[in-house]
Amino acid sequence: MRVGVLSWDRPWIWLLPLTAMLVAFTIMPLLYNIWLSFHEYHTFSRELRWVGGANWAQLVADARMWEALGITLFYFAVTLTVQVILGMAIALLLDDDEIGFGFLRTLLTLTLVVPPAIAGMMFLLIEDPEFGVLTYVLEQLGLLDKTTPILATASTAIWGVMLVDIWQWTPFMVLIFLAGLRSLPPEPYEAAMLDGASAFTVFRRITLPLMQKVIAVAVLIRGIDIFRMFDYVFVMTSGGPGTSTYTLSLYSWQQTFSFIKWGYGATLSLFTLLIILIVANLFIWVAKVRW
Amino acid sequence: MMVRSKSSRVLRSVVAWGTVLLFAFPLYYWLTVAFKDGKEIFNYPPQVWSFSPTVRNFEEIFGISLGFGFGEQREVLPGGGNWRMAPRLWDSIVIAVLSTGIAVSIATLASYALSRMEFAGRHHFVSWVLSTRMMPPVAVAIPVFFIYKELSLLDTYTGVILIHALMNLPLAVLLMKSFFDDIPHEIDESGMIDGASRFLIFRRIILPMVKGGAAATAVLCFIFSWTEFLFVLTLTQTGLKTVPVVSSTFVTSTGTAWGNMAALGAAAMLPAFLFILLVQKHLVRGLTLGSVKQ
Repeated sequence: MRVGVLSWDRPWIWLLPLTAMLVAFTIMPLLYNIWLSFHEYHTFSRELRWVGGANWAQLVADARMWEALGITLFYFAVTLTVQVILGMAIALLLDDDEIGFGFLRTLLTLTLVVPPAIAGMMFLLIEDPEFGVLTYVLEQLGLLDKTTPILATASTAIWGVMLVDIWQWTPFMVLIFLAGLRSLPPEPYEAAMLDGASAFTVFRRITLPLMQKVIAVAVLIRGIDIFRMFDYVFVMTSGGPGTSTYTLSLYSWQQTFSFIKWGYGATLSLFTLLIILIVANLFIWVAKVRW
Repeated sequence: MMVRSKSSRVLRSVVAWGTVLLFAFPLYYWLTVAFKDGKEIFNYPPQVWSFSPTVRNFEEIFGISLGFGFGEQREVLPGGGNWRMAPRLWDSIVIAVLSTGIAVSIATLASYALSRMEFAGRHHFVSWVLSTRMMPPVAVAIPVFFIYKELSLLDTYTGVILIHALMNLPLAVLLMKSFFDDIPHEIDESGMIDGASRFLIFRRIILPMVKGGAAATAVLCFIFSWTEFLFVLTLTQTGLKTVPVVSSTFVTSTGTAWGNMAALGAAAMLPAFLFILLVQKHLVRGLTLGSVKQ
């Protein structure tokens, strides 16, 4: 039987709407962005002019870009590490059928539906130097005095932002790890118990290897989102004080929309995109994550 | 599992409750702020447990009286914006519902083919869908801003709905594919032997079997659209604004309307909270784009 290209027996008609959307909203913008990165907007003549590779040359020579990349990587490394370790610890803690643990697991899902911009503002209030709860607690513990506002001090601001990310997304790790823990086969554990292995050995030799795939997926998805983080710094610090919390995403957004450097902003956003695509695909390949 | 002593079980419960309640605390505190009078918010030490609750913040942002007396009506925010938040909730609902509808429809069609049909490049196609999930929103928002400007789509429902649908497509496609993959191929094949067409099998047999999965996908798409910030911030001006973006306008150089912001935040989070409780069963699968099953 011969079937036409646009028959329901062929995949194309099923994939057509998806392909159209992805081409219109990822390929086209990508090409436009590349085009834009070779132009710059001139405020006097109010037009885009061809500048060749000037934006890319500027990118390499831009000390603030390197600083933003450094801040992004620092934020990425700390936040992701804390979320994985803390997430695993809490998942192990909750992996039991004590009374009320089901309720606790449900309670943890709630942070995931808070709009990140609103979570940022929650912590803006909690970390407020005048009347914030966290400021009060830290002050009582003698860890902070009121003259060093968390978010307005260059050395502490990034930690203040990381705290929101850790608060909001550690439960993401917990839920995924818990699902992984609950689906582990019981046999290796029974064997280990007969051998009298310690709890730590069991975790290292059995749990971790069996959880490898689940951990890899969680790290990949969270890693992508942490690297391109924008909302928290935008509402909490706008990159300040000084340039101490500028992430790459915020820097490119501001170059485009605050400083009208359309070409340079596009170049920066492409650079961010390139880093994520390369690192994430490398990770998928090394960790053998499959969809 | 291992036999544990009673005291270690109690200790474990105490630590577990303490940890989770610590995570819940910011939400609780935000809720108290929503019900606090302006002055009480600024008390130091902060009042966490005892305060006199008021619904004034809610009355102000919705411009209604809940029957507990009605103070003078403020018309503009410190930053010059409007107090009336009901239209902004409406914008959020329209955008989230329609973008979810589009994303789930497109994804259901495509993921059926990706799950059921063999064709050259299928694996690459899936990788392509996945890699669009990696694009930083800023790298999409910048060019789309200029494209929308040309097409007069800035500040329109259509523009935001389309971009939110796009944002949710990788999630929706990969998640729906995992639900289709759960259904044995024999079901399709037996239908084909009976002479039914692909589309008929899809509509009459397979689609009803993934209803639960499609609902879970829809809930997650709804939540991600509901909470999205950067695209709405970039692609709208005055015509429409969703709740997360309008909330940020409560922060101004002359002061922040914390009580009203908290009230709006609480009102906006409530539907998302209720929805997520409905999809507990598929939540982890959704968060991992279909790759970890509960």
